[in-house]
Amino acid sequence: MSPPTSTGPAATPTGSKLTRVLGSLSLAFLAIFLLFGLMLSPPEVSQREAVRLFYIHVPSAVIALYLAFGLTAVGSVVYLRKRSTFWDLLAWSAAEIGVLFCAFTLVTGMLWGRPTWGVFWKWDPRLTSTAISFVLFIGYLAVRQLDLTPEARSSRAAVLGIIGFLNTIVVRFSVSWWQSLHQGTTLNPVDTQMDGLHLLSFFLGFATLALVFSWLLVHRFRVAWLAHQAGEAGLDRALAERRAEATGRTV
Amino acid sequence: MTEPTADPDPAEQTTEPGPSVSVDLSPRDLPGAAKRRSLRNWCIVGALSLVLAGILYQALTSARVFFYNVDEAIARRDELGSQTFRIQGTVVDEPADIGGAMVFTIAFNDETAVVRHVGDEPSDLFEVGIPVVAEGHWEGEAFESRQLLVKHSESYVEDNPDRLVPDK
Repeated sequence: MSPPTSTGPAATPTGSKLTRVLGSLSLAFLAIFLLFGLMLSPPEVSQREAVRLFYIHVPSAVIALYLAFGLTAVGSVVYLRKRSTFWDLLAWSAAEIGVLFCAFTLVTGMLWGRPTWGVFWKWDPRLTSTAISFVLFIGYLAVRQLDLTPEARSSRAAVLGIIGFLNTIVVRFSVSWWQSLHQGTTLNPVDTQMDGLHLLSFFLGFATLALVFSWLLVHRFRVAWLAHQAGEAGLDRALAERRAEATGRTV
Repeated sequence: MTEPTADPDPAEQTTEPGPSVSVDLSPRDLPGAAKRRSLRNWCIVGALSLVLAGILYQALTSARVFFYNVDEAIARRDELGSQTFRIQGTVVDEPADIGGAMVFTIAFNDETAVVRHVGDEPSDLFEVGIPVVAEGHWEGEAFESRQLLVKHSESYVEDNPDRLVPDK
């Protein structure tokens, strides 16, 4: 992944060979996933058709909480240590897509909860801690829009990004630290409690959503990079205009 | 990926030919629209803080002790009195309809409790042998339930018509 090198954002598409490959792979995996997820995998003995929500709910949760918010935390730590614009923008981009996946997790969880538990929502430890993550990262995105200096904005957002990711640990262990309505871990490396086609459909769902995440991340990062470049150019232009006003010359 | 190059010092850009001029580069006052946008953004952060506080309140109240297992609820019966709480146990018998209430027994750690549920029907997963969480209060020796939630296990078993299943 390399930053765009154009002279202006309007002339630069955010697509690249990498994004075209990622986009094509996403579509191909999506087609295979839909085939297995909706048609070839059988219903579950007790949950019946509701089991299909597992194939998207769990992968989107893993991608949002671990991959996206983890990337935000890493980017935030590196930004605070090195003041690197690259890592700052990567953290921001990952957080934005992570919020999207986290919302998807909450919605699919609610849709799954109704036919299994009997309710869409309960203030259960796993649900509550996930909702806290969601709100913390919406807060992260809100901080990025505040009228502060770019450095202050990035620093405050970075601190919030790190705190937000620490909450992922709470989400992970919430079902064992407290009594929970939410089920425990299914995908145990030692003893996976899932039959063949269910497991295959889950991995296809995970691969599909991971590809979509990567594809969106590259695009979002490039947009953020171009916006940053445009902002820098705009500042230079504004400074030049102020100087011209002071000296009575035109730019 | 390469890092963006740092902007040159703006002061260096004034070294053009011509007379030296002192340029005022202090920020100008924000125009009205920008001020309103700034206020709106701070309001959004404030609203999110309130939402977060509300969720944290739920975390410290409802989520911290989401339910008591049957043995814990029995041990705390006097302390709990008639207050509303949730009790968790495994359904051990077929529910009976007694006076419009769904009556059944749940068990956990060798302790059992009779549940009288009046309210919405539980989900289709409800059956003997499955753990449930009932919300309600003690009414004498029985637990009066207003809401019945069904837990599902971590195991996922394919409904395969060719599979040999043990008799229940």
